[in-house]
Amino acid sequence: MKILAIDTSTDETAAAVTQGIKVLSNIIWSQASLHAKWGGVYPSLAKRVHLERIDWVVSKALSSAKCEADNINAIAVGTGPGLAVAIEVGLAKAKKISLLLNKPFIAINHVEGHLLSVLAKPKTSRQQRPKDIVGFPAIGLVASGGTTQLVLIMRVGTYEILAHTIDDALGEALDKAARMLGLGYPGGPILEIMAKEGDPKTYNLPIPMLGKENRSRFSYSGIKTAMYKLVQNEQPLTKEKIHNLAASFQDKTFQHVERLIRKVLETYKVKEFFLTGGVSANIELRKRIRKICNEREIILSIPYSKKLCTDNAAMIGIAANFKFQRGEIVTSTNLDLVDRVPRARVDKKFPWEK
Amino acid sequence: MPTETVYIAAVDATNHAAVQKLIKYKNRPFGKPFSVGVADLKMAQVLAKMNQTALNLYKNFYPGPVTIVCSGKHKVATGIESELGTLGIFVTDHKLTIDVIKALGKPITTTSANASYQKRPFKIKDLLDFLSIKQKGLIDLIVDAGEIPYREASTVIDTTIDDPAVLRQGEIRLKDKNEVLSRSEESTQNIGKELWQKFEKYFGQRALVFALEGPMGVGKTVFTKGLARAMGIKDEIVSPTYNLEEEYDNGKLHHFDAWRIENNEELNNLEFSKKITDKTVIAIEWADRVADEIRKYSEEAIIIWIKIEYARGENERIVSWGTL
Repeated sequence: MKILAIDTSTDETAAAVTQGIKVLSNIIWSQASLHAKWGGVYPSLAKRVHLERIDWVVSKALSSAKCEADNINAIAVGTGPGLAVAIEVGLAKAKKISLLLNKPFIAINHVEGHLLSVLAKPKTSRQQRPKDIVGFPAIGLVASGGTTQLVLIMRVGTYEILAHTIDDALGEALDKAARMLGLGYPGGPILEIMAKEGDPKTYNLPIPMLGKENRSRFSYSGIKTAMYKLVQNEQPLTKEKIHNLAASFQDKTFQHVERLIRKVLETYKVKEFFLTGGVSANIELRKRIRKICNEREIILSIPYSKKLCTDNAAMIGIAANFKFQRGEIVTSTNLDLVDRVPRARVDKKFPWEK
Repeated sequence: MPTETVYIAAVDATNHAAVQKLIKYKNRPFGKPFSVGVADLKMAQVLAKMNQTALNLYKNFYPGPVTIVCSGKHKVATGIESELGTLGIFVTDHKLTIDVIKALGKPITTTSANASYQKRPFKIKDLLDFLSIKQKGLIDLIVDAGEIPYREASTVIDTTIDDPAVLRQGEIRLKDKNEVLSRSEESTQNIGKELWQKFEKYFGQRALVFALEGPMGVGKTVFTKGLARAMGIKDEIVSPTYNLEEEYDNGKLHHFDAWRIENNEELNNLEFSKKITDKTVIAIEWADRVADEIRKYSEEAIIIWIKIEYARGENERIVSWGTL
């Protein structure tokens, strides 16, 4: 069972081939690599840029997987949440391939893709993940530039959002802090490196929503404002100040995440915790969440490679594998009903699935 | 009952039970104050300590519509004054309002008769359409004077601080520009609501572009939350930075973030011009980055430039706007 998966939710143009839960190829034409190449201002990627890249990315995914298009059993695509004009490119391409090859079409919620990214295995892996290791119910954190949410996973395909952000996503807040410190954008990963050198206790930034954990909301606008004012006060910035500011900001934003996780783990007794999304690549965040899980004897699952953390198509293929098994495919006659869903929620079905 | 600006929900401002009923009716969080109407300056001075600034404003701007915020003397029921003990005095020469106050011999509340974040009522139907059965049940008497002419809400001026600050901008201006002071996230949201109410009458006829400028973390998304709520959008408004654009209620509101947009062409990749032609409402953060492109639509759309700046106090912001 081989699936060709595509995702163009926001900045990354991505395609992958998966087999069951094995990743045969995972191609991402990312903002980061181009950013490095051009070394300067990077234009945001809208429709046109995805259009320029999509064909190359799809054929690269097939060739890296040593797979002919004919050998694909199904086509999957992320249809939201994301940027409408961006999703549209991947969606149109996926529909076209599905009709051309006469293969089943599977629409995937991008956030579900992130949640299930921890189930992925490298192609060299002999072992299929035994069912009993995946302990459901589980709780998943999706922390990326686009979203931050805690999701209860009753089983694959059944989700409940336990907490979500009311303003900025965690990755976005980290990126913005990096920008304030003159580290460029997106700068979350650079902020992480700077933070390692700094002392988080140097500055007294507020922990977001302190004492209001019961509201089950992430919020990063307040600390962003405090950081902005602090950075203004600390001008001119020295290297040491940057390190300490980065460390302080990261520490407080992560404490907010930790507090909410502890809160939901008090209420929901789960066996496993899935840490996903771009920010899950952050070593400090992993360390802190691992500690929480260890205290409660909960298994912590993290995607096996960094490429599965940030936006990618392999995770769409993994999620599609389960959806295919459940028979939730779109037939060619219903293909016209499938549309981009920019504000899709992982706990709701797509409109055409009702 | 009608006033010169809007239909109001009037209760005896000194009657505790009546004020509790009003809070229930308005569906307001506790702690949000109500302004009161008085018959004359004498009655105002019984209720509040009016300093020289307040007295000057009263004289200069009589007959309003203006609301002067003074230090209250706690002569009104709990919930009328703010948590800081300030009291808003609504200055009016509206005959019916004055007659009612005189006959009652006490101040009345002059809050608009709509529930929080609902349409400002200029006729009784505006009001009844948006009230629940429970809310309707709390009304004892409706004075229907037909449709009253559209007018902006009163200008609210705080005189309890060194420099008088405008908290809500109506027809009357202290400075030669539209500028208000926000003291909290909630009041920034409220300003978003008030600006919507000022321009709502053009909705559906022309595109409305709320072009937001201001530094990081100043409250551009917070403003948009209030705008969206006043538009009747129930979804949570989140920062659009990452996705560049978020769409609400099937395209009723488009929330853009131009922070990562480097040139005009990219804005057009997001089908900006189509959204103008479709006469939608657009809130665009970091609008200064794409100002030239936005200005191109000044014929087809109403463009409201909104600037939010950090002010002296920790949570204070200055919000100013104009349509040029």
